[in-house]
Amino acid sequence: MSHHDHDHDHASGPRSVPAGLSSCAEAATAKEAAYRIDYPLSAARNTRVVALDDEAERIVRSAALLDWGQARFFSITDPGEVLAEVGASDVPLDKVMTDTNTVVMVATSGENATAVAAIGDLARERGIMTAGLVVAPGALTSDALFHLRPHARILLVPAEEDDLIELLRATRA
Amino acid sequence: MLRTDINELLAQAGPGTPMGDLFRRYWQPVLLAEELPENDCPPVRVKVLSERLIAFRDSEGRYGLMDEFCAHRGVSLWFGRNEEGGLRCPYHGWKYDVTGQAVEVPSELASSNFCANVKLKGYPMAKRGDVLFAYLGDPAAQPPLPEWEAYTVPDGQVFTSKRLQECNWLQALEGGIDSSHVTFLHGGNLESDPLFKGSKGNEYNKGDLKPFFEVVDYEGGLLIGARRNAEEGMYYWRVTPWVLPNFTMVPPRGDHPVHGHFWVPIDDENCWAYSFDYHPTRQLTEAEVAAMRAGKGVHSANDASYRPLANKDNDYLMDRESQKHGENYSGIEGIALQDSSLQESMGPLVDRTKERLVATDAGIIKARQKLYKAVKALQDGVEPTGNRAKDQKVRSVAIVLPADQSFVEGIGEAMVAEPAKPHTSV
Repeated sequence: MSHHDHDHDHASGPRSVPAGLSSCAEAATAKEAAYRIDYPLSAARNTRVVALDDEAERIVRSAALLDWGQARFFSITDPGEVLAEVGASDVPLDKVMTDTNTVVMVATSGENATAVAAIGDLARERGIMTAGLVVAPGALTSDALFHLRPHARILLVPAEEDDLIELLRATRA
Repeated sequence: MLRTDINELLAQAGPGTPMGDLFRRYWQPVLLAEELPENDCPPVRVKVLSERLIAFRDSEGRYGLMDEFCAHRGVSLWFGRNEEGGLRCPYHGWKYDVTGQAVEVPSELASSNFCANVKLKGYPMAKRGDVLFAYLGDPAAQPPLPEWEAYTVPDGQVFTSKRLQECNWLQALEGGIDSSHVTFLHGGNLESDPLFKGSKGNEYNKGDLKPFFEVVDYEGGLLIGARRNAEEGMYYWRVTPWVLPNFTMVPPRGDHPVHGHFWVPIDDENCWAYSFDYHPTRQLTEAEVAAMRAGKGVHSANDASYRPLANKDNDYLMDRESQKHGENYSGIEGIALQDSSLQESMGPLVDRTKERLVATDAGIIKARQKLYKAVKALQDGVEPTGNRAKDQKVRSVAIVLPADQSFVEGIGEAMVAEPAKPHTSV
């Protein structure tokens, strides 16, 4: 049916379609919603959370205490090369960025721009989604924002501390 | 993913519910002015925030919004006679003024004070532009009349439509915040719809199909900036404001009118989409209004009760050929129906425990969080934002900025509505 035919239909009233089992009229009811099949969702997202400065590390460590699926939490040690995993040992950045599909970077200041760029470059190369949270007053004009901007597909500015937990929960990290 | 209890808390806006209490701190659109076109015109049933009400316009032009049912025997006052300064129940002649106060009970003696003690619950209702807004909350907390720019511009500069959307209000609102769907679902309309086509911004849209997003928290709600590459060293920004609890605006394109929406709960399984177009500095043209009435842009072609002609009973007039050949990405004609068809398909109230959000859904995640916090704060006695003039005098913006500039800093006063100030658009 062409657009012109649609226009004609609109002018002469809606086309009548019998409300069969596969029709939208039947399928979009609350009653039919109860028949959506129930099964465990596939594995949780492999999220990596990286604190980019000391204050961000405090926020990330606090979030790491909660119960997560496959999320892992890191802070910067050697910018661009090695990350320290919360509650574990140091891990080379290249390995942190392996077998993951989302990296969330948390910043409160403009430190470690080199690490942000290294993470961003690897993420771009490997098709990893990136998000950034700038938890700071004055975040809208902060160095943290401008360091993250080229490398974070989505940024929350200014973010609140609990935005990290909300983001991780909502994305089943 | 959202827990069932929080999903229900955010979605349910009936009397006595936490979200219902929050909504009752705001003036909400309840009718188009055209629905009560003249003094003593027929009354209109209104269902909003899960309350059954009757609206009428009395002999003096005053608007009334009150309990739909007569205090005597529970008859619907939709059958009433709107005459001589009040709405009279046709059953036994009880008559009410625009506040819901009974002014005549014919069966009582003339000297009786009985009717002085009979009052239907009533709410203030006021005309702003081409919309009637009502306030259903505590009179002591009533905010000033709404100051949305669309409803403060001169006559002839705004057009509002409404359409029934057969799902919970939050599903519809989240579509207004979710900028990342536009490239896919509405991509085919940018150069075909008369209310969108021809802008430079459309070229940027088409030239960069993977925008970056920045979600900026501000006092009235959120500013969602979608960033695309423009000329060398420049970004094209489209900035969508969301103002608590249910107002969103679409960034403008060229000199086209600016669009926006209110997503108003009817009950927990239906809402009204009030969709407006206005221009801050000029009259809408006849061609623009004709296009809006025909269902172009953010509007829809509706039946007499404001239900879209393309609806779930006719599978939204799905056109598989158009879908296959790319004229319409979803096969549904028109932006409004492209959205509502998908949002209704989620069911009347989607089970958010099953969803798989991704990082680019951060705007939705943040909006839910702000709604939740506003609900909790109100329970602790903290009044919400979004109902003050300074929150409502907001504009959507489309702008090209240097790559090293914050979009909030870059748009500056452009997002602040002022009379006769041109809007910032590309």
